[in-house]
Amino acid sequence: MKNKNIEHIISLSNDLRWQIGDEFHDNLAEGIYADAAEIVKDSVHKTDEKNKLRLDARIDKIITSKIWGFPIMFLILALVLWLTIIGANYPSSMLAGLLLDTVHPALKAFASSIGMPWWLDGFLIDGVYLAVAWVIAVMLPPMAIFFPLFTLLEDFGYLPRVAFNLDHLFKLSGAHGKQALTMSMGFGCNAAGVVATRIIDSPRERLIAIITNNFSLCNGRWPTQILIATIFVGAVVPNSFSSIASLSAVIGIAILGIFFMFLVSWALSKTVLKGEVSTFNLELPPYRPPRFWKTIYTSLIDRTIIVLWRAIVFAAPAGAVIWLISNVYLGDQSMAAWLISSLDGFGFLLGLNGVILVAYIVAIPANEIVIPTILMLTVLVTGIDGGAGAGVMFELDSVSATGDVLRAGGWTLLTAINLMLFSLLHNPCSTTIYTIYKETKSVKWTVVASILPVIMGFIVTFLVAQIWRLFI
Amino acid sequence: MEVKAKSACETCSHFNAEGLKRLGVNTTEVDFVVALAGNPNTGKSTVFNALTGLRQHTGNWPGKTVTRAEGAFEYNKEKYKLVDLPGTYSLLSTSEDEEVARNFILFGKPDVTVIVVDASRLERNLNLVLQILEITDRAVLCLNLMDEAERNHIEIDTRTLARYLGIPVVPTSARYDKGIPELIQTISEVANGKIICKPHRIKNIPKNIENAVQKLSLEIKKEYPEIANSRWIAFRLLEGDEHIIELLRTGEFV
Amino acid sequence: MNTYNPITALLIFLAISVFAYLLFRPYKGWYWLIKTNSKSNGKIVVEDILKLLYHSENANKHLNLNDIIRTLKTNDTLIVDSINKMAAHELIFMEGDAVKLTKSGSDYALRIVRAHRLWEKFLAEKTGFDRAEWHERAERKEHELTKDETDILASKLGNPQFDPHGDPIPTNTGKIAKIKGTALSELTVDTIGRIIHIKDKPDIIYKQILAEKIHIGSLIRVVDKTASRIVFHSEGESFVLAPIIAGNITVSILEKDVVVEENLARLSILKEGETAKIIGISKEIRGESRRRLLDLGFVKGADVRLDLLNPLGEPNAFLIKGTSIALRNNQASKILIKKV
Repeated sequence: MKNKNIEHIISLSNDLRWQIGDEFHDNLAEGIYADAAEIVKDSVHKTDEKNKLRLDARIDKIITSKIWGFPIMFLILALVLWLTIIGANYPSSMLAGLLLDTVHPALKAFASSIGMPWWLDGFLIDGVYLAVAWVIAVMLPPMAIFFPLFTLLEDFGYLPRVAFNLDHLFKLSGAHGKQALTMSMGFGCNAAGVVATRIIDSPRERLIAIITNNFSLCNGRWPTQILIATIFVGAVVPNSFSSIASLSAVIGIAILGIFFMFLVSWALSKTVLKGEVSTFNLELPPYRPPRFWKTIYTSLIDRTIIVLWRAIVFAAPAGAVIWLISNVYLGDQSMAAWLISSLDGFGFLLGLNGVILVAYIVAIPANEIVIPTILMLTVLVTGIDGGAGAGVMFELDSVSATGDVLRAGGWTLLTAINLMLFSLLHNPCSTTIYTIYKETKSVKWTVVASILPVIMGFIVTFLVAQIWRLFI
Repeated sequence: MEVKAKSACETCSHFNAEGLKRLGVNTTEVDFVVALAGNPNTGKSTVFNALTGLRQHTGNWPGKTVTRAEGAFEYNKEKYKLVDLPGTYSLLSTSEDEEVARNFILFGKPDVTVIVVDASRLERNLNLVLQILEITDRAVLCLNLMDEAERNHIEIDTRTLARYLGIPVVPTSARYDKGIPELIQTISEVANGKIICKPHRIKNIPKNIENAVQKLSLEIKKEYPEIANSRWIAFRLLEGDEHIIELLRTGEFV
Repeated sequence: MNTYNPITALLIFLAISVFAYLLFRPYKGWYWLIKTNSKSNGKIVVEDILKLLYHSENANKHLNLNDIIRTLKTNDTLIVDSINKMAAHELIFMEGDAVKLTKSGSDYALRIVRAHRLWEKFLAEKTGFDRAEWHERAERKEHELTKDETDILASKLGNPQFDPHGDPIPTNTGKIAKIKGTALSELTVDTIGRIIHIKDKPDIIYKQILAEKIHIGSLIRVVDKTASRIVFHSEGESFVLAPIIAGNITVSILEKDVVVEENLARLSILKEGETAKIIGISKEIRGESRRRLLDLGFVKGADVRLDLLNPLGEPNAFLIKGTSIALRNNQASKILIKKV
């Protein structure tokens, strides 16, 4: 009985909907706004009509002007990145000194004093602890600088204007102007960049922003780029130009990343994402002076700590795996050596080597530990002096000493350039992959976002290697 | 100046400052559920933080809160759970945030819905307010960002506004903790039934739609006499909202 | 590694790329061809014949075997086989040399038509595909949807009555609404009407109409008519069509007292600081995009001002109901205004 009546209501609503036609939504929206206008007319009074040229409008005129808009934007972005990279140096080395050079030996001494078996000691302290300590030392300081700066700009209201200024460029590649911001956020951390895509409310453009965020060189990769560029690119030019040359190489890689971001955005919007709904709207909110300390505090709690925690959760098992593969023997070779020799051929084709590929496989959880892993593995397979033992990641204090180890591992300028390219174009770290899955709730798009960049990395390094060998 | 304004209010007869405890994320065993709705960029999260003592990030950027956040406070020995809904312009579309907000107000059955609006952009914000008032009859309008409105020389006659809307109106500047005590007091009065709301119903609808809505709403009332928002259900049915049709069949929302 | 040589490596890479391209290029890639072929090709032909017969019988034309072979571009033996199979299953019967639908044949055809039109409606409302693609995609999808899936789709879409071209969608009991209207080419000067249907066949004419940006639901007023052309105003623009094209557009005539706003302009022509009143949103914007614009306050009667010009030309920001909202040109050009 009840059910029959309900079905009657539903079919009645169908009939009525047909009678009203497709104007329903328009009429309803207009009706509501008409009510709103009536209410406002009686209850709101604007006393000063002449105050049209608000402060907001004057600021907007400048930062969206043809002449000043772009220079201001680039200046701010450059300043934020510069503050992050330079400002993070000192606390980073302090943290490294504390966690790696003081706490680590202390832990080792403690372990041996209580007679811990060597494998447990190695697994826990050299593996898990070291990886976690490394991630904290490299990741925490830049994020603790980058995110608050970014959040201050956000709270002030500047970021929507950046999206406004740049939207046309992004539209050409089928993306949304707000992607400029998620991309910039990716320069800090891709996982945070992926979370930030929530501000894009059009499904198609949001997926594009998520999948292409990995092309922003993140915090964990800047140090790798800078180190390798300093050792190899800086060395090919006269001494006085070496810092300029290595700096331009790093910036070149970052710009190449932006280029790939546009290219892939365009390709995605024309192919697999063609059918996703696409809408556009961008509100330019009024400027509000940020409350400085509150902003710093909340951005540390909300962004930095959460991202760092996720990274630690993923880095710990990676440390364990790195230690295990270097210490578990299959026949007369460690698993690491065995993996390296089996990947050497493929690595050579890409202008890389087995060590690098193995390092990238075990370091999926965190880009921060790629260089220490490479150094450890290089020492392991070449048998040269240095390092701290099988499965113990290390870094050298001097850049030239690092260069010596790598050259002993057979590195050339080509290896260096291709490593820089591969560091840009490879799968996102597992923290980011996990975040992509949480944001899209789709296995399909997570797989696309993870596989696509690494395939591009293979193709690009392969082509560079062949052409290099042909002509140089 | 800010401090003065605040203390002036804490001595006034209504607000009982001793009775307030901010409970952060501890949301167990609550007496009342309060939903926090509003347009993006109206300082909704700031109001949320001011009420609960939490420090959710509040960006000057539309659409920050996508998932809903929860917090709690205690006032006069009664516990209130506060649910921060995603900021939306409307409840009529199909986007994910709007669905979350719409479904919570309709099915989460909050005891009070606090609607946060930007005082200097009242007309635009009323779009959402009028929609919410079709769904629930226990609401409080939080007229936020009063400081900005004053700076822009906008005066709002809150009594006229309250009379039109049929719900209490509380002016606040949550960034500076102004008006929060009054807001808490008003929430508790609505929750305890001391203030009875007579919410505004949308009037300016073409006749053919109004007739259809009345016809449907009558039929729905026949079937579910206890339902308070049959008009809104009728709106959704005319829109063809699959979710509502499903729930109507199962009768789950009653 | 002894045989390694960069040129060989590059050549192998090239070969693999070409192969991958041939395999996976859109629609014509071997992978896709095999995938579609593996689905019963026979079923598709049968359903296409049913549809063809259904549409011709509606137009009171009767087709013989040769007409069918000529119209459908599949190989002849497959068609003959299918016809025999269909006759055996009593979907069709022969009357003279004309092929005719039985009751169950026409029910079947109606189901396919229903699936096709519902899918077009779905593409229009819930996806971002360009409207030039709707028909082709629906042509493929109609063979894949089962009856139950079609019904679920219909209820998801709110049991729509018409597809985006204005064609009626048959109900699941086979009822079909009538289109009451007049061909645009038959209207006299000064007639006011609303476009209710645009024929999506033949393809050439349909594409031409799409290119003209004429859409269902918009109001028109005929201003001039000669033997060779018909001129009408719609949404603030003037259109000139040849009668043969206008014949594919159906209009429902409205009472004279309906006011068609003249001298409309588009929001995109506004200059910095200029103010205008919104008259409406063009019917070309539909689905989610339309709802979003309405929610943002772009409703009839609202005042709008060009607030901020973009250094790159678009999007420009418009001040509406106290807030600055940026719109791209393809949106602004579909919002109808009257300058004040």
